[in-house]
Amino acid sequence: MAFMRKQAVVEAVDVNTLTPEDTEKRITAGVKKYATNEANYAAADANTPYLGHIVGMGIESSNLADITMSIERQFLTKMTTKTPSGSSSEYTLTAGELGKLRILDGQDALAATPGLSVKMLMDLGHMPKNDGYLEKVMSFAYVMATGDGWKMADALKKMAGKAEKLADGERSEALANLKTLVGQAKDYDALLADASKLAASKAKAYANDKAGFDALNTELNLTLEKIKGVSAGGDAAALAKLRGEEAEIRTRLKMSHAKLRVSQEVSDAAGKRRPIEDKKVAEVRAGLQEAVALAEKLS
Amino acid sequence: MPLEAEDVKALRLQWLLSRALVVPVSIAVFAMARFLLKYRLDDDLDALRAEIWAKLDAHQGPVIWAANHLTLIDSFLVYWAVFPIDRLLEDRRIPWSTPEYTNYYKLGGPVQSALVRALLYLCRCIPFLRGGEDAASESWRQKAFDKCVWVLREGGAVFVYPEAGRSRSGWLEPRRPKDFLGKLALDVPGSKFLCVYLRADGQIATTAAPAKGAKLRVAADLIDGVLPGETNARDISQRLFDRLAELQLEWWKGSDMARNCAGNDVVDLKGALLRENFSDDLSEADQEWLERHLTPRELKYLAEQGPASLFKTFWRFFCAKEACHKALGRAVIVVPNGAFHEIEIDLFRRKATHIPTGLQLDLRFTDDDEDKLHCVAVLRGGFIGDEETEGDILWAVGEVPSGTSPGAFVRDLALDMIASSNDEIRTASRLALTENSGLPGVLWRGKPQEWSLSLSHSGRYAAASFMIS
Repeated sequence: MAFMRKQAVVEAVDVNTLTPEDTEKRITAGVKKYATNEANYAAADANTPYLGHIVGMGIESSNLADITMSIERQFLTKMTTKTPSGSSSEYTLTAGELGKLRILDGQDALAATPGLSVKMLMDLGHMPKNDGYLEKVMSFAYVMATGDGWKMADALKKMAGKAEKLADGERSEALANLKTLVGQAKDYDALLADASKLAASKAKAYANDKAGFDALNTELNLTLEKIKGVSAGGDAAALAKLRGEEAEIRTRLKMSHAKLRVSQEVSDAAGKRRPIEDKKVAEVRAGLQEAVALAEKLS
Repeated sequence: MPLEAEDVKALRLQWLLSRALVVPVSIAVFAMARFLLKYRLDDDLDALRAEIWAKLDAHQGPVIWAANHLTLIDSFLVYWAVFPIDRLLEDRRIPWSTPEYTNYYKLGGPVQSALVRALLYLCRCIPFLRGGEDAASESWRQKAFDKCVWVLREGGAVFVYPEAGRSRSGWLEPRRPKDFLGKLALDVPGSKFLCVYLRADGQIATTAAPAKGAKLRVAADLIDGVLPGETNARDISQRLFDRLAELQLEWWKGSDMARNCAGNDVVDLKGALLRENFSDDLSEADQEWLERHLTPRELKYLAEQGPASLFKTFWRFFCAKEACHKALGRAVIVVPNGAFHEIEIDLFRRKATHIPTGLQLDLRFTDDDEDKLHCVAVLRGGFIGDEETEGDILWAVGEVPSGTSPGAFVRDLALDMIASSNDEIRTASRLALTENSGLPGVLWRGKPQEWSLSLSHSGRYAAASFMIS
């Protein structure tokens, strides 16, 4: 094809020859052009989210796939042999000759920070697991939970700033809103303080996904029963239609399973807190408390 | 069209046999729902039953049961919820059902299939064939309709789903009425509609059955079939759909789930980063990059549009996916970042499907020009609107002034839009933005509003949308 990729040519390196820290640096450097928050990008570490403007690099969702493809372009791996799994079109990558790194559909679902991207490469066997490095990487669940906390603190500060400038009538309505925001911030602060409560709140999304997955299995079983019933009658057109339905449900089940894996990981990880998560939670809680104190001065 | 004598004879026999076995069959159905599937009925159900049956007792004519449709066992569940066990001998009140033939009549091996058919026969089922436009299918539908008319004229009751199938969005949309029940009422003018909205708590999407152990909540009412002067089936159906929509709102008032679920997304088509995976003339794109975003069906559609439309069509897909991502998030359906294949867009039909749940969303491109795209998506809570009918979603797209933070600008844009569209609010200072689980919300008078606010910015543009239903 005449089309040429416009990215700068990058010489790919065997990811196994790099330390996790070097890999992380390369990954961060690879997304520089997409980062719209220059200050956050300049100070980025393993736990800086790619997305978001408050604490994140400000990468737009339209460049999400570019992050993954940037990682693929930079590294070589020995996990290059396609091994069939599940249906005929599905495969996993197992050890073979050194070649281009390939991140398959859904494998990057939890790679929300450079550190989590490195963890993804370790989890997929592209590079050896390094517990020392992973100790410094905040889990996906806490990237999301602290991100929500920063957003809330930011909204509260902005509202307090606005309310301060208002006159009597408008000010009283703004203060009513501010009071609610303060309540929400305090509630979220309390939620962050208790890992088990946070885990329970994340369990709701998991329960939804699990119910959806179970419902799909029921739907599949029903379709298989229909196929059994129609097969006996010899109606080829009806049978073909049902086979199509079956294939569609199996695709949905595959996606549903991948989604369930993400929500299960979030639900499980929300209940476990290591020093890195404690540190980040303490930071966001301080941010929330500061915003609350600012708002309470007005009321 | 009158039924042939042998059809009438068959119906009379079915009625006779089902009448003879109504008590054991009904108790078996109720027991299965309660003890096998462990469903629980709303605590307030006795009061609702008393109210409904007082109205039914005052109406001696036939009754058309009309309910929302989400699962394959809704008929049984509605019957269990509405019909008190001590009234099982009131034969003509027991409804005839109209199940889809392809869903029930050929299930499993010969023995299982025969058992299911026998059960359906005793449950007074008239099989429907909703699919197919050929003469045989049309004739089947007409005969099923005639059977329903016959039952009603005999003073009986029939149960028909007004939406003619399970709702793919999980929402009964009153602005898309179907005429079938209106026609039925016109053919039997003395009939009334028993409107029922039944849904399990936590039931998000269409499934085979509610989750085991689910609590079922019901809202119901008995309304007139044909009003004096009504001669148009659409008008009658519209009235029925409107009442069902009111019952739907009543049901949602008691639900923990967010009712309004909408989202938006804006794309600045002149953004440099949007072009980098395309050739200079935008007629070609990196195939691998396209495949990371689009499903095979979407890729096929993209190819069919030709090179001249490649760039814009791709970003239409993307914009729609992002809007759906936000609408689904409201329903606590988290689409992982980058999981673009989970949402499949049909640009021609302006529909999107969340593949893991099968949920269907409506799409609308409010802005589609050389500079930008803006798409809104609605899962539930209201009508998206079209060229002829105003919808329940309002939006604003604005250009971000240079030197202004797009994030701050879009928040002000949203509050100004909401304030200016409501006479009671008038000024944005009465509102505040909040964040809950990463989703933006609005506070007014200190209370969170269920407006499904959605914010987006891209390059030079920012856009906000919210629902007024």
